[in-house]
Amino acid sequence: MPLNIDFTQVLLHMLNFVILAGALGFLLFKPITKFMADRQKHFEDLAKENEEAAKTNADMKAEYEQKLEEAKAEIADMHRNAEKEAAETAKEYIDSAHQKANAIIAAAETEAEKRKESILDSAQAEISELVLSATQKLLSDTVTPERNSALYDEFIRRTDKTVADERKSR
Amino acid sequence: MSSKKLSGKTIYLIVWISLLAIILAAIFIVGLPSGEKAETIKEVMRDGVLHEDNKISLFGLLVNPALISAYIVSAALIIGAVIIRIFVIPHFKTVPGKFQLILEELVSFFSGMAKTNSPHKTPVVGTYIFGAGCYIFFSTIFELLGIQAVTTKGHSIALPAPIADINGAIAMGITSYAFILIAGAVCNGAKGVLGVLKDFSLPISMSFRLFGALLSGLLVTELVYYYVSLSFVLPVFVGVMFTLLHAAIQTYVLTTLVSIFYGEAVEPNPKKIKEKKA
Repeated sequence: MPLNIDFTQVLLHMLNFVILAGALGFLLFKPITKFMADRQKHFEDLAKENEEAAKTNADMKAEYEQKLEEAKAEIADMHRNAEKEAAETAKEYIDSAHQKANAIIAAAETEAEKRKESILDSAQAEISELVLSATQKLLSDTVTPERNSALYDEFIRRTDKTVADERKSR
Repeated sequence: MSSKKLSGKTIYLIVWISLLAIILAAIFIVGLPSGEKAETIKEVMRDGVLHEDNKISLFGLLVNPALISAYIVSAALIIGAVIIRIFVIPHFKTVPGKFQLILEELVSFFSGMAKTNSPHKTPVVGTYIFGAGCYIFFSTIFELLGIQAVTTKGHSIALPAPIADINGAIAMGITSYAFILIAGAVCNGAKGVLGVLKDFSLPISMSFRLFGALLSGLLVTELVYYYVSLSFVLPVFVGVMFTLLHAAIQTYVLTTLVSIFYGEAVEPNPKKIKEKKA
């Protein structure tokens, strides 16, 4: 053959190459390709999981933010109501306190009046007795019973007048 | 006293240059051993192309040295693949180490090429071009090892790259063509076969492209190694230029061509696609 082409050797070369290509494909190419494909799938799955997790997180965040807004609005309502209630209660307490204070003051004034009257009455009696005894002592020798009676009436009259004036001035 | 002043580096440099000068002088005094060569340069280069004289006995069958190279490369690759399959691949990690990264890059390169050039039935062509690429690359690199073999005439020769032999190159071309043809027949029936047969020049172009590229490197290498005076420094550049670059370029070219023609052969019929859509 020209160029020393030998078909037996060509076939031997072909046999050699076919066996080699098959062996390399079986021993190296497929296992390594499979490993790489599995790894790629693994990372794709991870990426997908991450994406889903991120989406879930975003949804949850939006939900929580919405809930937070609702809670804030609710808190604001409650705050307003509480303030209103507190104001009403405070007003009620103040009104009640005013009423009680007024009642106490009125009662105190009445009591004071009573006490004053009582004191004045007792003072009046004591003064009358003192004046009477003093007058009796001073006039026991010179004063006649008629003069005594006139002085006594005069004192009574003046005392009544004085009490009446004091009552008027109040 | 003066030697004490010289640094170690200077002494080393002086000794190295002296030895180099002595050896070079000796070579030129003795002269080129052309008369002692078993073959003339003409015979060496003719044998590099045709492999008519230097045959090796393979179980009684006289074969070209390239076939022995092919078997050695294949055996080494298969043993290496078995070792990797048993001891390395089961321990692959999600975050790859250096060796795992090299393997993954290698597989990704051919897998990516298959996907790019042939979107349909990708794994099949990916497997094929992975095997073809490894074979062409490592068998071309094999030439650099210079493994010696004894011919039937008793000469010692360095085993060449398998594809530098016309039989090896034709085998690659025909196998690749047959692969594309069978894939076309399986996927598209008679139309697929006709589509592939239309490119009947494909195996010839594939074969001779490989053969020509590898042979050019082989001839230049033979020429350089034949003359002692050319065997300093120059072989480094020759080895890189005509072996490593050829290995990478021819691997890329053949695998790309196979994946492109395969892609055309297995591409679904447009009418069938329209019918399916309808």
